[in-house]
Amino acid sequence: MIAEARPRPVPESTAAAKGALSISDLDKSFTIGGVSRPVLEAIDLHVEPGEFVSIVGASGCGKSTLLRLIVGLDDEYSGEIRLDGERVATTSLDRGIVFQDHRLFPWMTLEQNIELALLNTDTPQARRAQIVADHIALVNLKGFEQAYPHQLSGGMAQRAAIARALVTEPKLLLLDEPLGALDALTRVHVQNELQRIWMTQRSTMIMVTHDVEEALYLGDRVVVMAPSPGRIRRIVDVDLPHPRDRGAPLLHKLKDEILAELTASPVEPGNLVRLPGREER
Amino acid sequence: MTAALSRRGARIAIGLVVPALFLSWWQWQATAGDARSLAFAPLHSIGSAFVELVESGSLFSDMVSTLSRSLTGLAIGGTLGIAIGVAMAVWRPLDRMLGPLLHAIRQVPLIGWLPLIGLWFGTGQGSELIVVSISAFFPTLLNSYAGVTNVEPRYLDVGRIYGFTPLQRFRLILLPAAMPLILTGLTQGLAFAWIASIATEILLGVGGGLGVTMQVAQTQQRLDVILVAIIATAILGFVINQLFLRLRRHLLRWQAAPL
Repeated sequence: MIAEARPRPVPESTAAAKGALSISDLDKSFTIGGVSRPVLEAIDLHVEPGEFVSIVGASGCGKSTLLRLIVGLDDEYSGEIRLDGERVATTSLDRGIVFQDHRLFPWMTLEQNIELALLNTDTPQARRAQIVADHIALVNLKGFEQAYPHQLSGGMAQRAAIARALVTEPKLLLLDEPLGALDALTRVHVQNELQRIWMTQRSTMIMVTHDVEEALYLGDRVVVMAPSPGRIRRIVDVDLPHPRDRGAPLLHKLKDEILAELTASPVEPGNLVRLPGREER
Repeated sequence: MTAALSRRGARIAIGLVVPALFLSWWQWQATAGDARSLAFAPLHSIGSAFVELVESGSLFSDMVSTLSRSLTGLAIGGTLGIAIGVAMAVWRPLDRMLGPLLHAIRQVPLIGWLPLIGLWFGTGQGSELIVVSISAFFPTLLNSYAGVTNVEPRYLDVGRIYGFTPLQRFRLILLPAAMPLILTGLTQGLAFAWIASIATEILLGVGGGLGVTMQVAQTQQRLDVILVAIIATAILGFVINQLFLRLRRHLLRWQAAPL
């Protein structure tokens, strides 16, 4: 709180403005049919500025809900989410997100779709076109500026969505299974691109995925989550410099470990398939 | 058969088969020489009636009056329909206030309005235009309302992420996302306005128009003139509908082509 009392120093370069995220004692529940069901329980996570954190877990463990909370689309939670000391209450241009579906507006060209992200920033009008062009080049989509989303392939549309999220230079970029809908080859390609972009931009990134290999390839740390209710089971450090070699023995060793943990989970009563009709006999 | 349809010439030729058969059947009925010739005018007399109407200039002026009545009605009814439909979708209290009333009113078939409007506004051209506007109003209203209420929340999320103001949200998300249905509403509104124009012209018989000519020809037992007016109505209706579809395709060029 003392830090907030003083005027905050204005960062001179963007390099100083990287986001540090701290989540403490976060609980979240949904009310379904009048019954409150916890989806996230006691989440504590601290992400260093410029760090790449991957989150893996079975479907339904609240990964996407967690990202919606961090980005500010949902503010009904207890506990605290702070970005650089400031409590997250609503959306902000400091926090970007790439969804699993690209969510480009079908009625706008690729260029217009990316430019709309700058609409409410203080970027001077004169520089916007250049910034948009730079980001289109960054994701290798030069020549497709005037294309409508339906004219792009899935991988291209997803790269455009990444460009749109990066163009505001958010301190924190959230990636919600951004490559989940892509085929295996395109996915490897976009993963490499994502790693390259992260190494150039060095903003903080948090990626949710169900692909353990992808989580390990990109993440400095991998958060393994357990379902019902979603909580953090383990955090794995991936102590390898970027850019990484997919064949690195450490990655394979960690992958086996995490997969074993995810699949051989002790069966909890909540997870059991129960058919009461059969139990009667 | 399907392969032959890929050639433009063949497509047009196939489309002409049924009309040609119909015309020959018609001509046969008209020249059979018994009572049937009272109900079917022979093709050559339709042709001469056509020439007569073209030379006197009345066919052209009829087409202009009916067309301008329909389009003016569409402009009035359509503008109100879009404005009120969008406003009701954006602002719930308005929906609550106007919704029940409008849904009750729209159950009245458009011709059902004529007696009331005749009493209030007389049986002149103004009343014709009012009925045409009302009939264009409801399809535009309903579709615009549905278009805006059915905008996918995932697009609205994007607007929130980038801090859109309410006006930006409306201009950049709600309106373009609703545009396909708004245009569907206008296309339906056009069809209804066209029907209403002809119907009110026949019933009120004022101000000129294809319907007025049909009505006058009926009292004069001019079967050939009625047929010319019907054919002109069909062709003109078809042409404006096509132009409208073309405009729609252009405005919605961002949509993936239907497979």
